[in-house]
Amino acid sequence: MTKSNLYKLTLTACLLAYIWLFYFSNNYNSPKGFPVCLVKNVTDIPCPSCGTSRAVLHFFNLELFKSILVNPFGVIVSFIMIIAPIWIIADFLFKKESFYQFYYKVEKTIQKKPVAIILIILVIANWIWNIKKNI
Amino acid sequence: MESSKVDMFIMTNNKFFEAHHLMVVRERLINMDDSKWATLQILQFKDPTTALLISIFAGVYGIDRFYIGDTGLGVGKLLTCGGIGIWAIVDWFLIQGATKEKNMEYFNRSMMQ
Repeated sequence: MTKSNLYKLTLTACLLAYIWLFYFSNNYNSPKGFPVCLVKNVTDIPCPSCGTSRAVLHFFNLELFKSILVNPFGVIVSFIMIIAPIWIIADFLFKKESFYQFYYKVEKTIQKKPVAIILIILVIANWIWNIKKNI
Repeated sequence: MESSKVDMFIMTNNKFFEAHHLMVVRERLINMDDSKWATLQILQFKDPTTALLISIFAGVYGIDRFYIGDTGLGVGKLLTCGGIGIWAIVDWFLIQGATKEKNMEYFNRSMMQ
């Protein structure tokens, strides 16, 4: 992926995430959330990332523990939503490509077998937890 | 490299590349030294049809993107329920092209060393 494509994609994703979060926070009134997940709607079984919107909402309300209890993915997504736009704007202002290099470094690290196996196990564990919680 | 060998490679591997890539691949192989033939034989390309099947059945989890080596996008898809399902559906149409692009990148990387 080229640098400009990555930056455009990340900024668009963050913008959509904020719009979604704003919409979600205004329409969220049931403990089951606001189900949009394809898998959950079709099979009634939650996917590994079901509950992320609720977790992000808790995170932005500074309820870190609640956020982790709903879905630990929420913390990761919140960090990306906060840090990525600032990092990209800083890169743009200082004419650097540190975010692009960081993205590639992370990608290469995740592709290493031991790291990948650990992450897959964590995602599956989170999935099982989600199903148990019936999120 | 002999043109008969190159044509044989193109015939057996044409499904892994976009049509416009094939001419570039052919030209590059013909100008290449014969010693690269062995390297060429052991290249493992990703199958676009397999990627499409993975995308249809497990696209929401980003596994199609992991399969073709787009790990960053895969993580993005996994964290967002396949972009609330929309990205997952868009990827049904994009994933074959993306796989072929990745194969071309892999070919360039392996053969230019």
